[in-house]
Amino acid sequence: MDNEALINGYFEDNLSENEKGEFERLLNTDSEFAADFEFQKELQRSLKKEERQQIKAMFGAQNPFAEKTPTKVVRLRPWLMAASIALLVGISAWLIFFTNTGIDAGQLYDTNFVPYENVVHPIERGAQIEDLKTKAFTAYEDEDYGNALALFKELQQKQTDSYIQFYEAIVLMQLNKHQEAVPLLENYISGDGELKDRAIWYLALAYLKQGDTSKSSEQLDKLIKEDGFKAKAARQLLENL
Amino acid sequence: MNDKQLIAQLKKRDRNALKDVYRQYKTEFFRFASRYSKDTVLLEDIFQDAIIAVYENVLAGKLDDLKSSLKTYLFSTGKFMIFKNFRDTKEVATEENYIFDRKETAVMEDVYEDEGPNENQKKLIESFKKLGDKCREILELFYLQGLKLEEIMSVQGYENKNVAKSQKSRCLKTLRELVGRG
Repeated sequence: MDNEALINGYFEDNLSENEKGEFERLLNTDSEFAADFEFQKELQRSLKKEERQQIKAMFGAQNPFAEKTPTKVVRLRPWLMAASIALLVGISAWLIFFTNTGIDAGQLYDTNFVPYENVVHPIERGAQIEDLKTKAFTAYEDEDYGNALALFKELQQKQTDSYIQFYEAIVLMQLNKHQEAVPLLENYISGDGELKDRAIWYLALAYLKQGDTSKSSEQLDKLIKEDGFKAKAARQLLENL
Repeated sequence: MNDKQLIAQLKKRDRNALKDVYRQYKTEFFRFASRYSKDTVLLEDIFQDAIIAVYENVLAGKLDDLKSSLKTYLFSTGKFMIFKNFRDTKEVATEENYIFDRKETAVMEDVYEDEGPNENQKKLIESFKKLGDKCREILELFYLQGLKLEEIMSVQGYENKNVAKSQKSRCLKTLRELVGRG
């Protein structure tokens, strides 16, 4: 049995006792054999580790990011908080009393729209920024939305990951281009993407911003029925529409 | 999907099957594991490790003739992981008591201890990604999925085993060159 076949046999786990002995002998005496074997073993280890990372990332994306605290939470001193609440209540009461339009879609949109966290392409800070996807999501995380849009558009040409549509739509919403965002979200949703329920939420917000409350309500109803992501927020928002 | 089907899919490295297992057993697993710890971040890690270990054991053919349920296998693996994390935990008798063999526990140990690829391994992966599709496929089938050359021959449609063998050999050589170039 030649050396290559011997090493293959090791990995296939079908060496006879004699062959195992031969394998050990060569490992200890033939440095080229040992190097060859070590390289293959290292390849196997690396592939395994890489796969585990990918699987863990995939699992990570299964979770709503409920555990992560929002990065921009302002802690108000209690009296200041009470005063602001009182002020808000006063203003809302005044608005409700004196305005003719029942709802302020813009206000509702602003209180509800938060760019969705990057859960699909973990970025290692400090890593060489080589590939396009990393560049795009780095720009996204850095809130450099103009740049991110260009990069996502480029990515769309080259890749088939459907979640690109989702993140591109959010970027468009940040840039106030809601009429461009809507078809992307609709497409992503009909493609049954991973983040479908998130997309429905953002679609509802996009319709809201465009002033189409009936379409917005339709999407919110879907979330409420699923009773999953943002069901409670959807209910509250619906009440206000 | 029943257990047999899930296991068959996992053996084909079907990521959707992995997701199914994750979603199906997460709540129950957390309930099961919470008697040992309330740290949900840690429990999440343990749960993920357990699934991965089960997955790798499936690839090694250890669940080909599974007599118990997949749930028992998974939860027993989880218990192993829990005890790795909390050495001084008192053994609590539960229904999940699958008896693993040494190879299976070796896999679980390996998953538990995995700190992620080191610098050299990362470089190797980078070079690996530069290989053509056919090479990546054959190397993954052999080294990751654990198929024998004969099986690869049928899966990939090579004329005979030697063709598969030399193709793999060529791919390895290319990979070594890529790594050498750094």
